[in-house]
Amino acid sequence: MSNPSETSEIVLEVTDLKTHFATPAGEVKSVDGVSFSVRRGEILGLVGESGSGKSITGFSIIGLVDPPGRNVGGSILFKGEDLLAASEKQLRTLRGNRIAMIFQDPMMTLNPVLSVKTHMVETVLAHESVSRAEALRRSIEALRMVGISQPETRIESYPHEFSGGMRQRVAIAIALLHKPDLIIADEPTTALDVTIQSQILSEVQVLCRELGMGLIWISHDLGVVAGLADRIAVMYAGRIVEQGDVDQILDRPKHPYTAGLIGSAPAANRRGERLTQIRGSAPHPLRRPEGCAFRTRCDFSTDACLQEPTETIGAADYRWRCFNPLGATEATS
Amino acid sequence: MSEIFAEARNVSKRFTHEPDFAERIASKLGAVSTRKVVHALDGVDLTIEKGEVVGLVGESGCGKSTLGRIIAGMIPATEGDVLVKGEKRDSLRGQAAREARLKTQIIFQDPMSSLNPRKRVLDIVGEAPVAHGLIKRGEKRKLVEDLLETVGLDPSMTDRYPHQFSGGQRQRLGIARALAVKPEFLVCDESIAALDISIQAQVINLFMDLRKSFDLTYLFISHDLGVVNHIADRVVIMYLGRVVESGRVEDIFERPNHPYTAALLAEVPSIDKRHRTFTTIKGEIPSPVSPPSGCHFHPRCPHAFERCRIERPALVDLGGRHQSACHLNELPERPDFNMSIQGEGRV
Repeated sequence: MSNPSETSEIVLEVTDLKTHFATPAGEVKSVDGVSFSVRRGEILGLVGESGSGKSITGFSIIGLVDPPGRNVGGSILFKGEDLLAASEKQLRTLRGNRIAMIFQDPMMTLNPVLSVKTHMVETVLAHESVSRAEALRRSIEALRMVGISQPETRIESYPHEFSGGMRQRVAIAIALLHKPDLIIADEPTTALDVTIQSQILSEVQVLCRELGMGLIWISHDLGVVAGLADRIAVMYAGRIVEQGDVDQILDRPKHPYTAGLIGSAPAANRRGERLTQIRGSAPHPLRRPEGCAFRTRCDFSTDACLQEPTETIGAADYRWRCFNPLGATEATS
Repeated sequence: MSEIFAEARNVSKRFTHEPDFAERIASKLGAVSTRKVVHALDGVDLTIEKGEVVGLVGESGCGKSTLGRIIAGMIPATEGDVLVKGEKRDSLRGQAAREARLKTQIIFQDPMSSLNPRKRVLDIVGEAPVAHGLIKRGEKRKLVEDLLETVGLDPSMTDRYPHQFSGGQRQRLGIARALAVKPEFLVCDESIAALDISIQAQVINLFMDLRKSFDLTYLFISHDLGVVNHIADRVVIMYLGRVVESGRVEDIFERPNHPYTAALLAEVPSIDKRHRTFTTIKGEIPSPVSPPSGCHFHPRCPHAFERCRIERPALVDLGGRHQSACHLNELPERPDFNMSIQGEGRV
């Protein structure tokens, strides 16, 4: 699979994004200074455990964070336009048109009382002034692209008449209707079986390359991301602790958390032996340790970790946040 | 290691949709009633030896949880027998039946829905051993504290309620409750599927430690082949209510015989498989209400031929406890599909 050239156009540039939730118990810093970028035709895997802020990062980009959540800093440049400064009206013209989102549960996207045809035709007409016949033709085309057979007849069906995997395909087809520049996919295959997941990953991968879309694939599953993504960003407690090429991150991780995640996958261990595990569990979002949030679970932490680690940038836009990176004796190139 | 602990013999389970009031009236008035029957299990054989970890793998709807529940004695089989230590489970009465039930414990996927939210840990974990007369009431606290220690929880948490624990800790509580009645056999039904990766590794390690220290036998039901590969001695692959292949873990993962097993292995995501071009088996799992004729896998199988559409393949011994239900094995020249498994070269 060809990698998108490193010089291709940057579609999305997120800088120091902060999304906080004001709760009676205190300020929950779900996303606390996240920076990354996505290029045309590139697939970025955003990986983290539950509560790490990966989904809120996705929601922040597309402007779906509801109160008490709010943006408290940073910028999100989409093809040069700052989405955080954009009005609700401007966002409406972008959402579903230039930026699309796919959710874990396709029923979040699909209205149970509307047919798939209504969903799709209305989506086309919302952003473009074309005839209904043309909108229908394009909808059928989109369904065919995601591998639904006999789309001419199946478009008349209602969401409940589809299986889980088929519903997710419909949701993806709706996201693809306007050939967006960026798709944010929030764990879309987590609830699906392995064979169905594989079918959907295959469709998404091909479409992303062919149409030159940027794709952010949010997942807790390093295995899925390893097979699909070009770059990986690992989130922990509201921050990206490490990001870079798939091979760099999975073969030579610098952050002890990334190394711990990789080590705890059964595939990284010998059959029947104890798995290497990260001790403890993720801190409560209101009681995160000062400085590096991972230091209480980390085997390498020192007094330096009481300060907040800054981001170090290496070659090929490889970045990490750690005072005691693994393999530090090697050159950073 | 050759003593058989639990055995399912030709077990079938059918769930029938009970007609509601309106349907009963309609059928009384002469309307043709179509009873929907879900064929959850269709003639399944399974043996579990003492001290063995058997991984039961399959996609949703294949009947793996139903089989686990039937073996654990939670629900009866429609046909066939379940034997525990050589005795038929449903012919046991009184004390013997109670004993057999206690010796088998089940650990569920979602600990929150199996832990009573209004009870303290002390009662959740300690109730069963007191009720069954295994310990005296006065020994309850001591036992619960010891069990919490065993599963890696702080014994000072004995008086807390389930909601005060994280997901991983709740799963440990479920395990502690199962261990409280000194079981010999644990049925783990997707017990780690809902946990985060780092917590999942901790719980897998706990299962492996407990196996050694309590000499436990496991039926480990999971859709995650990576996890099963790690902890199981023997693997059973199910598809749509039938066992399609079973064998030692090395045989299944390195020399899969059934096309479904091969496809499943090729598609399981792993961090070793980078920048993949996903090759997929076509189609979806058919509905268990109207399963396909012959071999259930034939509509999706790339190697299916005429016989697969007509005749159900029997589980055939391939040697070394490796069994597979596939007509291809009887062809003079069997197609070689193991080539499609990329990057699966680990021990």
